[in-house]
Amino acid sequence: MFRFVVRRLLQVIPVLFVIVTATFFMVRFVPGGPFTAEKTIPPEILKNLEAHYGLDQPLWRQYLTYLGSIARGDLGPSFKYPNRTVNEIIGDKLPVSLELGALALVIALALGLTLGVLAAVRRNTWLDYLASSAGLLGMCVPTFVLGPLLVLFFGIHLGWVNASGWDSPADRVLPALTLGFVYAAYIMRLTRGGMLEVLNQDFIRTARAKGASESRIVFRHALRGGLLPVIAFLGPGIAGILTGSFVIETIFQIPGLGREFVNSAFNRDYTLVLGTVILYATLIVGCNLVVDVVQVWLNPRLKFE
Amino acid sequence: MTRAGFLCFLCFLWPFLGSCSRRLPETAGILRISQRNEPATLDPQLATLPDEFFVIRALSEGLVTPSPVGGTPIPAVASHWEATDNWATWTFHLSGSAFWTNGDVVTAQDFVYSIRRALTPATAAPKSSLFFSIKNAPAFLHGTVTDFAEVGVAAPDDRTLVITLARSTPDFLELAASGPWIPVHPATVEKFGINWSRPEHFVGDGRFTLVEWLPNQRIVVRKYPMHRNSYTTLVTGIQFLAFDNGDTEERAFRAGQLDITMAVPATKLDTYRNAEPSFLQTVPLHETRYLALNTTKVPLNDVRVRRALSLALDRKILTDKVVKGGQQPAFTFVPAGLGRYVPAVSLTENPDEARRLLAEAGFPGGRGFPRLELSTWPVSTPQLEAIQERWRKELGIEVALVQREARTHLAALAVGDYDLAFATAIPDYGSAADLLNRLTSGHPDNYPHWSNASYDRLIAGTNLTDAEKLLLNEMPLIPLYFNAKNFLVRPTVQGWREDALWTRYYENVSLHE
Repeated sequence: MFRFVVRRLLQVIPVLFVIVTATFFMVRFVPGGPFTAEKTIPPEILKNLEAHYGLDQPLWRQYLTYLGSIARGDLGPSFKYPNRTVNEIIGDKLPVSLELGALALVIALALGLTLGVLAAVRRNTWLDYLASSAGLLGMCVPTFVLGPLLVLFFGIHLGWVNASGWDSPADRVLPALTLGFVYAAYIMRLTRGGMLEVLNQDFIRTARAKGASESRIVFRHALRGGLLPVIAFLGPGIAGILTGSFVIETIFQIPGLGREFVNSAFNRDYTLVLGTVILYATLIVGCNLVVDVVQVWLNPRLKFE
Repeated sequence: MTRAGFLCFLCFLWPFLGSCSRRLPETAGILRISQRNEPATLDPQLATLPDEFFVIRALSEGLVTPSPVGGTPIPAVASHWEATDNWATWTFHLSGSAFWTNGDVVTAQDFVYSIRRALTPATAAPKSSLFFSIKNAPAFLHGTVTDFAEVGVAAPDDRTLVITLARSTPDFLELAASGPWIPVHPATVEKFGINWSRPEHFVGDGRFTLVEWLPNQRIVVRKYPMHRNSYTTLVTGIQFLAFDNGDTEERAFRAGQLDITMAVPATKLDTYRNAEPSFLQTVPLHETRYLALNTTKVPLNDVRVRRALSLALDRKILTDKVVKGGQQPAFTFVPAGLGRYVPAVSLTENPDEARRLLAEAGFPGGRGFPRLELSTWPVSTPQLEAIQERWRKELGIEVALVQREARTHLAALAVGDYDLAFATAIPDYGSAADLLNRLTSGHPDNYPHWSNASYDRLIAGTNLTDAEKLLLNEMPLIPLYFNAKNFLVRPTVQGWREDALWTRYYENVSLHE
């Protein structure tokens, strides 16, 4: 297992290198720049600004300088915010997105796993139909519809919580629910599918024949294999949910990383785009690695080789 | 399962534990205003956006400041001033009663320092061209003059500031009232460099002090009781809340979390007009929305085609039936009431004349007219569809609408990679010269890439009225309408004022429950 993890970690380096290189050149070839504005900055002032940020250097040299600085863990200064660095912005915003993501993940797992298992065990009953319909609905209703609906009802009509913001613990409820529902729907469908497949297998029949109780069959024998598709989904899923959702953060006015990421692309804040891309990539690669390890642990037929 | 269950339980608790410890913002007596663009900086010499100056003007003030009732700027740090040499030399007398929030007196030297800072190449001040009317200022920025003593700014004593301009500038006060002219506290800037404008270091000379700045969340300022005019500061503080989505902002307003919004979603404008008219305020803006015509391309290089396109429009229908937000049809390029400017001519609309001109240019009934693209940034398209339809009906020509991401659109305008483009012109200060200058040959904002020697001469001679007459005759751009700003104000707020140049006024604003 140790060799497996080390080998996988070594593979991360070329992956990140390719991502950084591709992103670096892609953002540079997009028309417009960080200083493009309604009122054009006079050329002589633009020259000063470009010199200030090193944009007057040839592109290959800027690229090498950037690689040097990220090797030292410095993601550079932000082009949009003169007195903040990318490290600072990410350090500021990532915890917010992590918090929202963790809450949503808890909701998604609690709802999705419970409903998925119930639907599979009570297959083709009203419970199954109800859970499956809820899952389908959760996947079909986009967050930008569900979010405002929840706000209109709980925030404005009932006045129980704020319509937006990120100050009190109550402010976490609606965004976490909105984000959690979508993931819950996927997890529910995957759990149901995985469980059905496992429940039809021979070793379950053997367990039943040996007189194991239904709950023991479900939790002890079936769940372990039934969860494999969910685990595979959770790899990129967790990375996505933790690094923030632009839509949710915009609907609820949450100062998270998702908004920074999308706005940085609009602002041509080159370093912030790169910084968030690197973070995303690292998280996705990291989560996938964890998922691979967990999958081997859950599925005895897989080996680390 | 128990181990996993415990882990799940921890996961569930951890975010709540983290969030409970966070401090909630106080709200009593606090005015809550919405902003759209997150300020990049609160440094007056580096700021560019109206949203940045909303906050900066609460924290600091310049020699003079825009008047809440319009017209000539009113005294701020300078109590009085005089202009001599035919408006080329301006002497400002500082009252001596203006203080920085650390207790220092605001001196004439502070202004010299701030102007020098704006013109120093290393500062890279984006709006440094607002200082270019000062004698030798452009040369100092370009490095051809290295001794700042040769630049027309001098402080003979602590309370006198003499500014010598390169030429007679009657509307210099409007320039001096613009945001980038707001001074900085020299010792603080020297000590903390670019980080001086962070809350922990900020020193201003305004009626509020900076308390908190949570990027993309809120900026909080608190009343500064030692300000000489603090008796007109009737709120205990202001929260500037960051809303980058209009619908989210409107929902927060309805939930009572916000006193003043930045805008009203276009889809909800009619609802508020009918159901809650007392919430809705409309302010006309000195912002011209126009169509830029790429004069380097066939057939738009033909003045007859350009005029035909303008003559065929119906601007009144466009503003009253399509845009519907209190905008006024534009028959001139310079908005009415900008500075002291009075336009001499105005555009006419005449579809018959338009068809005649188009036929004369070789496209009778629109036959043979190439299919041009009308490009825009992501803005509501019905207004452009109305124009498209109007040209199809009146002139028999087809244009295709192309929507591009904002900065891509601006970059295309700058290099002339377009046929027809929707564009906007907002002056930096209250003067027609700032708008008309943009159409001089080679100016970076001359999006039509139009070049006319007579026009350049008229602008150089500050003959603005004749310059605009020539502009409207040659028609490198088609003015459409003067924009307006619609926003919501809670009835508990009294005395709220905004002006046509995006200044918000905080004095005498009060909250009544």
